[in-house]
Amino acid sequence: MVSNSVEMKTVEEKAVGPWKVAWQSFKKSKAALVGTAIVLFFILLALFGPLVAPQDINDQNLSVRLLPPSGEYWFGTDDFGRDIFSRIVHGARISLAVGFLSVVMSAVVGSFLGIIAGYYGRMLDTIISRIFDIMLAFPSILLAIAIVSILGPSLQNALIAIAIINIPNFGRLIRSKVLSVKEEEYIVAARAIGMKDSRILLRHILPNSFSPVIVQGTLAIATAIIEAAALSFLGLGAVAPQPEWGKMLSDARVHLMTAPWTMIFPGLAIMLTVLGFNLMGDGLRDALDPKMKN
Amino acid sequence: MRKNKLWSLGLFLLLALTAILAACSSNEGTTEPAKTTETSGEATTEETKEAVPQVLVFGRGGDSVSLDPAIVTDGESFKVTENIFETLLNFGEQDTTIHPGLAKEWEVSEDGLTYTFHLQEGVKFHDGTDFNAEAVVKNVERWKAGTAEQFYYFNTMFKAEGKDIIKTVTAVDEKTVVFELSRPQAPFLKNIAMSPFGIASPTAFEAAGDKFGDNPVGTGPFVFVEWKRNDSITVKKNDNYWQAGLPKLDTIIFRAIPDNSARLNALVTGEIDLADGINPSDAGTIEGNADLQLIERPSMNVGYLGLTSTRKPFDNKLVRQAVNYAIDKQAIVDAFFEGRAEVAVNPMPSSIFGYNDEITGYEYNPEKAKELLAEAGYDGKEIELWAMPVPRPYMPDGQKVAEAIQKNLADVGIPSKIVTFEWATYLEKAKNGEADAFLLGWTGDNGDADNFLYALLDKDNIGSNNYSYYSNDAVHDLLITAQSDLDEEKREQLYKEAQVLIHEDAPWVPLVHSIPLLAAKKGVTDYVPHQTGSESLINVSIQ
Repeated sequence: MVSNSVEMKTVEEKAVGPWKVAWQSFKKSKAALVGTAIVLFFILLALFGPLVAPQDINDQNLSVRLLPPSGEYWFGTDDFGRDIFSRIVHGARISLAVGFLSVVMSAVVGSFLGIIAGYYGRMLDTIISRIFDIMLAFPSILLAIAIVSILGPSLQNALIAIAIINIPNFGRLIRSKVLSVKEEEYIVAARAIGMKDSRILLRHILPNSFSPVIVQGTLAIATAIIEAAALSFLGLGAVAPQPEWGKMLSDARVHLMTAPWTMIFPGLAIMLTVLGFNLMGDGLRDALDPKMKN
Repeated sequence: MRKNKLWSLGLFLLLALTAILAACSSNEGTTEPAKTTETSGEATTEETKEAVPQVLVFGRGGDSVSLDPAIVTDGESFKVTENIFETLLNFGEQDTTIHPGLAKEWEVSEDGLTYTFHLQEGVKFHDGTDFNAEAVVKNVERWKAGTAEQFYYFNTMFKAEGKDIIKTVTAVDEKTVVFELSRPQAPFLKNIAMSPFGIASPTAFEAAGDKFGDNPVGTGPFVFVEWKRNDSITVKKNDNYWQAGLPKLDTIIFRAIPDNSARLNALVTGEIDLADGINPSDAGTIEGNADLQLIERPSMNVGYLGLTSTRKPFDNKLVRQAVNYAIDKQAIVDAFFEGRAEVAVNPMPSSIFGYNDEITGYEYNPEKAKELLAEAGYDGKEIELWAMPVPRPYMPDGQKVAEAIQKNLADVGIPSKIVTFEWATYLEKAKNGEADAFLLGWTGDNGDADNFLYALLDKDNIGSNNYSYYSNDAVHDLLITAQSDLDEEKREQLYKEAQVLIHEDAPWVPLVHSIPLLAAKKGVTDYVPHQTGSESLINVSIQ
């Protein structure tokens, strides 16, 4: 028993080390910091923006429709005379929520399946991996459209669809990591002393396999935001009058020629958020990848 | 992931750039508004007149269903068949008065039961078959023999309660044909002039059977050439056409381009010559473009919000009236039709004979709506608000109109969810009475009140065009009497009374009578759109 606790202690120490190293290298990348700043900005916007948004987002005033950007309406007004700036601020909450929630859902389910497949191997592995292969054989947006068509169009169902299509990415990632981690001596030791599988999986394998999931998760949020916007653009996600960015783009399409600001600002909002997450994700990957360490 | 990032960045930059460029160019354009006369006065191309190929590419929103006019109901099919087939009588160029067609003269008996048509001489079908009284008889007998599913229009226009209104049709001699009716039908001549009753070659339809729609043969100015499904239909000039000097075009290609913006774009780039279904918001852009002309189709339609009277909460008349008070129609017309429409009061436009102008309609009055809802004991349950997925001539952007209505309803305390389906499903489900409130519309076929009130709101047509399941026996009696009475004054009175009852029962919120817009290149001459939504392009030429 004594030797066991010593073993655990060293494992914990080892686990702290890499995170510090990662932070050092992350700080060095300017792009990653810019990305993080953008992401933080949008998170703050999502949290507190609705409090500062100047106008009621659902207040239609058809007499001021399609006005260009001005002092009163910073980003102009849309088809219904609603303030685009306020709607984009509110939209940040929707897009980020969809991004985070769908990724958390797919990461949890994906990790669970991935760990089981990697740790137990054999039939379970074959079945789970083949299911992942099948899902990955479809273009992801097509699969999402199919899922939403079955569930019916709504933001919630779009979120579920996006979560489902991202499961195999997480699953495969963590499975491959588990395959290598489970051969480590400390796992063999833990098994040798008769530790329960559930404890080995949760206390030892999961923490040691998790770093790629964080990277993948950050990048997946970016994809998820785009996918949610795409589904809403196609009329399969957010429903009127939700101020979802993709839906705003789609509604503005007819005015591409006459009122371009109705498209430009939601478009920019999507672009910036996605850019932020991608830069941050790239930075994280470089920081957490042991191969990149000097 | 990297790819994704680049992709999204690139796309949005491109989008922003395009938008800015487009905005700039349109601003320059609108400073010099061009005239939009239908006939091109400026003959700048006199020299090259001979050289201009007489080929017209007509861009429209959808493909035809079939080219057998007798079996279809959709406007996109009639747009083509109007050019291949001709009817015994024609409508006026831009009205619904009766003019000679394949029949040059006609007589009606005193009792309104016998119609005698004298046919044009020297007319042949495209396959060489002679057009004569026998051919007309064979056509009518074909329609009569079919079921309601086969010949929808014939059944709604010429059958009532399972009985044929056209009792017999006989060829008296080579060029004279006589229709005997079982009861007088006031709009008979207008009905017979409708596009579905184009006369087809008996040899061809007898040989082709169900396949006739794939290879249509009529007497019209244009001969069918080929049909690429969901893409294009080509027709060419009928060299043996019976009216000398016509048609002026050599070839017409009907191209289906579903997206309104894409279609307009195709017109701007010169891919097509004439574009149907222009968004009202693009009208300004077209007027500002010196190479294009904006064409207005005379309005003979109605766009409405149907309130299914068999479903809660709309089974209560007070709730239906409340919804009528709740919706700000004028604001909708101003915003989403850019003013190119008239606010609707009755289920038919004011140009139709029998329109009741004493009815002023429900004004926009949210307070009154709330009172009525309270009186009705409405429970505040969310309703489904159906919006059509495709642009229609009577409503170019149903989704936006629905969103405005959603807000109007929310203001008086009716929460609603906007729902949409693929177009065919939408119609099917609405027809089955599955919608609470739904947007829909109608373009008149023959300019008669019967074609609006009876077709859309009589209990006979529940399960067909009466989507709101409105059923009122008093209205039914008025409409049936009006249909069989030949006295115009009496008919007018009956229709006016029916409108009063309908207004009171409020099965719909009549929203709008829109002016459908088209656009063409400057060189397209003598294109005169008809209010029924389809017209022959016999006089059109390209300069």
